[in-house]
Amino acid sequence: MTAVVQTEGLTKFYGKRRGLHDLDLEIQPGEVFGYLGPNGAGKTTTIRLLLDVIRPTSGRAVVLGLDPRDSRARARIGYLPGELAVEGREKAGAYLEFMAAVRGGPSRRRIEELAERLEADLSARMGELSKGNKQKIGLIQAFMHEPELLILDEPTSGLDPLVQQEFLAMVREVRREGRSVLMSSHVLAEVEHVSDRVGIVRSGRLVAVEDVAALRERAVRKVEFHFDAPVPREAFENLPGVRDLVVEGANLRCTIDGRPDALIKAAARFTVVHMVSSEPDLEEIFLTYYSEEEHGDEEAGHVRARA
Amino acid sequence: MSALVRKTLGDYRRALIGWTIGVCAFFLLYLSIYDSIAANPDLYEKAALAKYPGALKDLMGGLADLATGAGFLQVIAYQLFGPMMLIMCAAVLGNRAVAGPEESGTLELVLTLPISRRRLVLGRFAALALGLLGVGLATFLVIAVMSAVHDMGVPIGHIAAAHVGLYLLVLFFGTLALTLGAAVGSKALALAATAVYAIGGYVVETLGKSVDAISWLRVISPFHYFLDGRPIYQGWPVGDYLVLLAATAVLLAVAVLTFDRRDVGV
Repeated sequence: MTAVVQTEGLTKFYGKRRGLHDLDLEIQPGEVFGYLGPNGAGKTTTIRLLLDVIRPTSGRAVVLGLDPRDSRARARIGYLPGELAVEGREKAGAYLEFMAAVRGGPSRRRIEELAERLEADLSARMGELSKGNKQKIGLIQAFMHEPELLILDEPTSGLDPLVQQEFLAMVREVRREGRSVLMSSHVLAEVEHVSDRVGIVRSGRLVAVEDVAALRERAVRKVEFHFDAPVPREAFENLPGVRDLVVEGANLRCTIDGRPDALIKAAARFTVVHMVSSEPDLEEIFLTYYSEEEHGDEEAGHVRARA
Repeated sequence: MSALVRKTLGDYRRALIGWTIGVCAFFLLYLSIYDSIAANPDLYEKAALAKYPGALKDLMGGLADLATGAGFLQVIAYQLFGPMMLIMCAAVLGNRAVAGPEESGTLELVLTLPISRRRLVLGRFAALALGLLGVGLATFLVIAVMSAVHDMGVPIGHIAAAHVGLYLLVLFFGTLALTLGAAVGSKALALAATAVYAIGGYVVETLGKSVDAISWLRVISPFHYFLDGRPIYQGWPVGDYLVLLAATAVLLAVAVLTFDRRDVGV
């Protein structure tokens, strides 16, 4: 299989600002890749290199089998900028028709369908779009020509929850059709449900690439049991994978790593009234990576604060 | 016409309409006083000559024949006011080709469309040239009609020659603003440099006639290739106009090459 995105030693320095160091990244067809990192880590730099808005200092990138400088590559990419800059008195619908005309593809009908789906207002003037509407116009222009590769920079920031659901559904459709997505975010929770793999970039370096399913397997889960009568703590001590055990009368709380099997079997010897198991917290695993990889830890603190 | 050129012209539309109305109104207003000046040639020509020091007369293109049709058109339309107003318009539009959208951030999305950088610059230039052509045609019509109505006695061919020269001069400065924006990406710098070259170029060309110390600089002033041939009096200075066209072509090539090489929006 030919990778949709492939970079080798991709490096960008800007003046004194940090850029991107030696990035090796591969995204496969049909894959949704979550590109994760704090603000200023190099996510947008990577994206702008792939789109040929900026040029690498060294290394190379191949996008859809082409050099990013080849405008034919961009015909097959849909791009959503982190902050869509808009101005002018032009109607949003007219702007989208201009983009469609340059792309030589999507019809007015296709634009209207997407607008209806996202409940975007095409009659608003570009310079006067609300934050929500701006995001929707951005999504329409990124998705309208059914590109083979979608590059979405912080797509979920500023979307209201209903639109976010619709957006995630659109991303899943793209994956089902075998197309690919590169989606950046600074919060894992925003991308974990649709991503197949997640890469973490920090201070311009890719520090980890992980399969989301594998992460979930290893995920940390908080579990609570409520029994009909007080239980002895000894019955649950030293079970494999069980940590942070707290037994208070008829209530038990703990954290489990990986499979909950041993805990369930131990609990089954008593009468369980109620059980609560939280979603695995992938963020926590990532933060572990962060703190292992990092020394001067300002930005990890930033991520933690947002989590 | 490509979608990009159409879209760019659409973006320029309001500015183009505004400048066209403004410049046409200026010409209408001032050209309409020709009758009273032509009726008292002795008064106005002598008065004008006596009142102003030589350098100032040079600045206004001589003023010796203000009471003739050609002299009057030269002073009002082709000497200083017409070029300066239209150059301002061209610089504003040229600045909006690359530097403006780059600073406001809207250029990034356009760059992610399947248009090469070269085609982007060429498309913006085409829209600039067409937009200025529209302003040029409208102002030409106003001058031609006013010249006929007020019996100025200037052959229409000479007005056409002067107006084509004016268009080429204005297109040169518009392209200069576009090129500086494409090369550097800074609106303020492109506008300032264009203004300095336009004003400096005019001063050098007009004062250079009587101040020997700067007369050698006249050849690098774009105004030299418009004013020196006196098209309103003598018709087409073809060679001079070709110099203006060639200089514009060189600027455009520089715009294409520099923009094709650099990072955008950093």
